[in-house]
Amino acid sequence: MDFALTDEQELLVESLKEYADRYFDDESVRQMYENHQVSAEAQDAYRDAGFPFMGLPEEVGGIPTDHVTLGLMTEKLYEFTGAMTPFMTGMLACADLAEFGTPEQSAVIMEEYEKSGQSVAALCLSEPAAGSDNMGMTMTSKKQADGTYVLNGQKTWVTNGADVPYYIVICKDEEPARENNKMSLWLVKRETEGVSTAHLTKLGQHTVPFVDVFFDNVVVEESQRIGEAGAGWLLLMKNFEFERCLVVAQGLGLAQAAQNDAIAYAKERIAFGKPIITNPRVQGLIEQNEIMLQQTRHWLYYCLWKLDQGQSINADIAMLKSWGTRAHLQIADNAIEVYGGLGYTEEVRVGRIWRDLRGNMLAGGTCEVMDYIAGRAIPKLYK
Amino acid sequence: MKIVVAVKVVADDQDIFVAGDRTLDYSKAHQVISSYDKNAIEAAAQLAAANDGTVTVISAATSKATDAKLKKDILSRGVDELIMVTDDALATADSFATAQVLKGIVEDKVSDYDLILTGDGSADFYAGQVNVQLAAALGVPTINEVTSIAAEGDKVVVERTLEEEVEEIEVPLPAVIAVSPSIGEPRIPGMREILAAGKKPSTVDELAGGVDAKIEIEEIKAPELAPRKQQIFEEGDIDAFAAAVAEALK
Repeated sequence: MDFALTDEQELLVESLKEYADRYFDDESVRQMYENHQVSAEAQDAYRDAGFPFMGLPEEVGGIPTDHVTLGLMTEKLYEFTGAMTPFMTGMLACADLAEFGTPEQSAVIMEEYEKSGQSVAALCLSEPAAGSDNMGMTMTSKKQADGTYVLNGQKTWVTNGADVPYYIVICKDEEPARENNKMSLWLVKRETEGVSTAHLTKLGQHTVPFVDVFFDNVVVEESQRIGEAGAGWLLLMKNFEFERCLVVAQGLGLAQAAQNDAIAYAKERIAFGKPIITNPRVQGLIEQNEIMLQQTRHWLYYCLWKLDQGQSINADIAMLKSWGTRAHLQIADNAIEVYGGLGYTEEVRVGRIWRDLRGNMLAGGTCEVMDYIAGRAIPKLYK
Repeated sequence: MKIVVAVKVVADDQDIFVAGDRTLDYSKAHQVISSYDKNAIEAAAQLAAANDGTVTVISAATSKATDAKLKKDILSRGVDELIMVTDDALATADSFATAQVLKGIVEDKVSDYDLILTGDGSADFYAGQVNVQLAAALGVPTINEVTSIAAEGDKVVVERTLEEEVEEIEVPLPAVIAVSPSIGEPRIPGMREILAAGKKPSTVDELAGGVDAKIEIEEIKAPELAPRKQQIFEEGDIDAFAAAVAEALK
């Protein structure tokens, strides 16, 4: 068993540190949260360093990379910036497009990145009445006499949805009925007649725009369908496990940033004549945090390693996402506690991290859905 | 256009600790590219890209500098080839001795160079002398504190940004030029460049003949910490406090 990073992984981490130091100083990050987006300068620099191409296949201009490296990249980016960024969501959408799309469809990835560092696509999955209950979705595509298709419906909680040039949309073929399990994926330009968006205000993660997307008689060609007709859900499911890994990696990085801040503060803050880091109660909070960080980190890299070995992580990642995202929220909560009253102000960033981390319990499947998946899977491990 | 960059490898100063007896503890410090030399590498990479050129990094280093990660770090920054010569006596070599070793590398391996770039100074000693000594040894012109370079046939046109004016100077090639950090921010190496770095040519030879050291190091110690003044002003005596601050700022 080898826990060491390769030279290449260490150099990647150094590049991420340099990137974060240059573009994510406190003032820039504050502005990104106010403006509801990462600055164009930071997005372009991310593209210039080739980071969005990591994990994509060579045929679309990508840099094939193992899951462990992608997880490491995510964790470190989030630790070094201490901020939510749209990059991993963007990468996952591109990965779906590159894996399931035709060469013509996946060519838009590089076409768009040549224009700017902006993420290329956002996935439109949830609907107002179909979140965890995906089969309840009612958006449909209906084939017309002229061979085109018409999309009608509403998608919600579309992460990154305000700025991207393309949407990857899943909807039911022909019939909205619950029993209809035929769904297809479509690649739709945001600037298509009949597509509109409405901003949703989140509790946190303000750097990543979050929108409702409305499809009102949107006409698409058959060539815009990604993959086989009716197979959309099966395609999307293939990458859910990895997506959950990245949600945990994001949370881990943010939670580590909160722990870094809490320890630095506890070493400086004098109370009762001594730095508070010498106080056993404060040490208890910091130790509790360190245990949760180490636990989730080791389990995360075990999951990523298993993915690289081609093994299923269905139960593992469900348990880790359920427990780990809650642990990460608790870490930020403990960091606020170490700061005391100051932690509840906007003067320090642990409160912002705490708000951001609450979202990770929901992203990529709620804790309860994860518990449901794990609950069914665990008994099968004990045959 | 064949561009050579002379790069110094130093201990990462963030991880050098001062021991109780004021000696320096290097045991936790990794070997890294001297920070200003990253700007020189970037200037060389951009000049090469604009003029269909190549970039070769040369370094006179200790055996500690030969770790694979450091070499890949250098080669991931728009560099085509790395040539290192090592001798542990180079750790404390003065500018003259270092320049002699660099001259040997240039004459042996890259004698067909057009331009040699260096940083203005190293992250450890910052003597700012190696470019001058190297140019003298090679018998070519040199100029320092350069903030922009453009190639024009058999010469380069460089700018030096001074306090009140920008000097523009034509320098015939071959030449040695030391650049200021403001010539350009070093690139952030991406994974594509990092992965390619391991496949680029790199050679490490032990220095033949030893280092021609003209000076002897007796000891290297951190300066003694001066005690803080901690002057306490009586409450309400704000004028005296303000006067003391003003005096300290003079």
